[in-house]
Amino acid sequence: MKKLKIACLLLTASMLGTGLAACTKEDGGVETSATTIPPTIATVATEDEEDLDYVYGEHFYSEVPVTYSMFFSDASWYAMKDTWLTEGVFKDIEDITNVHLDIISYDSNDYMNNITLDINAGNAAYIIPKIYDDSQFVDGGAIVPISQYVQYMPNFVDFYNTYNMQEDLLTITRNDGNYYKLPGMYDATMPDYSLLVRKDLFEAAGVDIEAIEKDYTWEDLCDALVKVKAYMVSQKMCSESDYIWSDLWCGNESGQGNGGNLLKLIGNTYDVNAGWAIGDGMRYSQENDAFYFSPVTENYKEFLKVAHKFVEAGILDPETFTQDDSTATNKFFNGQTAIISVNKSQYANFVSNLEENLGKGNFDVYYAVAPRGLNNYSPAGAGRLENGVMISQNALEELGEDEFIKMLRFVDWLFYSEEAYTLTKWGVEGKTYKVNDDGTKSLLPGYCCSGLGYASTSDSDIDIRLEWGYAGGNFWYGHTMALASDHFIPPVAAFVEHVSEYRDIVPLSPGLAPNEDQSEEMNLIATPLIDNVNTWTLSFVTGKEDIDAKWDEYVASCEDLNCQGLVDLYAEVYGK
Amino acid sequence: MATNTKKVPLKVKENTGYRIFLVINFLIMLFVVLVTLYPFVYLVSQSFTSEKAIIRGEAGIIPKGFNIDTYKYVLRGEFLHYYRNTIVYTLIGTILSLVFSSLLAYPMAKSELKFNRVLTPFIIFTMYFGGTLISNYILIVNGLKLKNTVAAFILPMMISTYYVILMKSFFQSIPKDLEEAGEIDGLSKFGVFIRICLPLSKPILATMTLFYSVMYWNNWYQAFLYLNKKQWPVAYYLQTIIRGVGAKEGDGDATSVSANIKSCAMVLTVLPIICVYPIIQKYYVQGMMLGGVKE
Repeated sequence: MKKLKIACLLLTASMLGTGLAACTKEDGGVETSATTIPPTIATVATEDEEDLDYVYGEHFYSEVPVTYSMFFSDASWYAMKDTWLTEGVFKDIEDITNVHLDIISYDSNDYMNNITLDINAGNAAYIIPKIYDDSQFVDGGAIVPISQYVQYMPNFVDFYNTYNMQEDLLTITRNDGNYYKLPGMYDATMPDYSLLVRKDLFEAAGVDIEAIEKDYTWEDLCDALVKVKAYMVSQKMCSESDYIWSDLWCGNESGQGNGGNLLKLIGNTYDVNAGWAIGDGMRYSQENDAFYFSPVTENYKEFLKVAHKFVEAGILDPETFTQDDSTATNKFFNGQTAIISVNKSQYANFVSNLEENLGKGNFDVYYAVAPRGLNNYSPAGAGRLENGVMISQNALEELGEDEFIKMLRFVDWLFYSEEAYTLTKWGVEGKTYKVNDDGTKSLLPGYCCSGLGYASTSDSDIDIRLEWGYAGGNFWYGHTMALASDHFIPPVAAFVEHVSEYRDIVPLSPGLAPNEDQSEEMNLIATPLIDNVNTWTLSFVTGKEDIDAKWDEYVASCEDLNCQGLVDLYAEVYGK
Repeated sequence: MATNTKKVPLKVKENTGYRIFLVINFLIMLFVVLVTLYPFVYLVSQSFTSEKAIIRGEAGIIPKGFNIDTYKYVLRGEFLHYYRNTIVYTLIGTILSLVFSSLLAYPMAKSELKFNRVLTPFIIFTMYFGGTLISNYILIVNGLKLKNTVAAFILPMMISTYYVILMKSFFQSIPKDLEEAGEIDGLSKFGVFIRICLPLSKPILATMTLFYSVMYWNNWYQAFLYLNKKQWPVAYYLQTIIRGVGAKEGDGDATSVSANIKSCAMVLTVLPIICVYPIIQKYYVQGMMLGGVKE
């Protein structure tokens, strides 16, 4: 018994010792981050290149057949079929490169859960596409710090150097000076989410949306909608008590409890994080060269007031923030509402639904640039990066360095070359699409593609996405605006052009690379804090709480949840 | 000699207060029933409502633009494939579960079994402390190489400790004298189990059949972990279409599934359980009581 007690004491002492040692290390100061990546990268050739009859970058072909495993996010709205492997996009890739892709497919709804499980269990595929946030994988050692190998990727390097991507890549660079994801890259910011308005109703109410969108504010939009509502009431299209804006991407299904897309759009123009973009609430001030907690600023108060104004004026249905998306779209499709959020991919779908319900020629819509707020920022937000690809450590260990570099050549071709981009987006030239005399591309007769905005004109039309997997999200993203927009229908192209013409690019925030402990501490503070912010925000916007009367109480609640601690941590990591 | 006996009804005298109580009780119960039934009736109605009527917001408890096109559409598509998977998994899983659970529960019920006092706690331990997600995953995927096999769906839940304990308690309630009589007549231990105990255990076997089949019918989690899309049971397929395709990152071009298709799929999925439930409902209650009381 005595021995047992001694053993317990020794165990306790050793645990205490370990804990104290850990504390001492932490108190001893935080390691400075080494977040430097070069402004330009030089490509490195390998010996085997001398034997090739082509230049890496333009093409890729393996002399011996090789197989690389790859995770695949299978979108339920265009689910993968066997024909993709036997005669579609994967067969084409194999024909061109002699690389067989061993596809490990997971439903897109559970994709991240499934691949996280596989990665943690040591079963990661070599190529891991469709990654938005790589932070959970970085510390586990299962992912290759890919920045150490990009010199073997000529297309990546070319894009990086040509479009000065260093600042953008710094935003995903980790504390150890590496980035772990090969992101999709644009040469400019690509706008997407904005507002679709019933142009016919606006015009009937005396509002020329095309004329005002250049510099109208959210208040101007609210005033315009009041006029539209008055018109709709006068035409008995709705009653005085009805709302004429019921929005999607804000409620139960996709709003994530923070007001989703709409509050993100408005917040962006008030220099605050809100809605989908709430994150941990921290934002960078160019003026002060420091990070601040945006939900307690005066700008946030202004943002809340303007968002609430739409509800108060009887325009925006407060149920927007709790309802299912289909409730909002149904109301818009049957003409009960006059405005709704939209993105590039949904534009054609919304118009087709309107045609079905209201009848062709009975309406007119306009893809409008979102209004200005305190700034004139583009709704595209900051940065030119998209989701990306991670490479697993299994690939490096199982293939060996030489074969691993060869695989990176293939990855570079597949995700960054123009040849592969065109193949995975449009299919095979002469078979599914043609290049017109003016250089534009179009699908050949007999083919359609919902993803590219080519609607089916007859029952015999083959959808190249559904049938063969072209224009799928795993490969089709990033690249130059010229390539990325080569399928845009005129209203969408006009919207993209208007945004770049009328709005300013949001400046990039400096890249931050907290270490593991700092990240954990940030999460510990941010999780309850942001829950609190979201709850108050929705109460303010929907009018459950009075903004002026309760503002101080709200700010105090954030302070109680240590928002200052978050600011201090950011300052510590940023080193200012 | 015949006696003239008059039956006295055992009925509480219904005074006014009692009648009022009955009426209020009835109204409350009616309210509860309506509130419970409303979502399901609405669901059924929506599955027969035309898509246009749903978009116009005209769906109610009476179908508008009544049609069975949605059912035709759903039953023509992949739904039927997943439905078939579920039926196969439920049948195989339930049979295997019954066999192995009873084979485990019977010896546990025998106090004379050597090391029973040690083994039983080990089995019960698994009811409170399961392996972690990752360790189970590694075992099944890397160790047993069962990924993308039906075994991966059935094996992890083939034996439910709780159900085994229910069966064990039932087996313990079978008189020992019967088993001893069988042994005297020359039956082995296994023969006693097969020839005497199992025929006497029909109530618990019926209950377990019900419990296990409902468990397999509704399960989606093992499918999420271990099965590929072609092998999904209908419950997982249903879950993916009900969750829909919100505009989370990467879903920008997603098109949502119509409400009538969702409703139709839900109705078809729960229909077998709803049909069977009233018939075997009593077993649910009995199952909880079986073996729970010792005389």
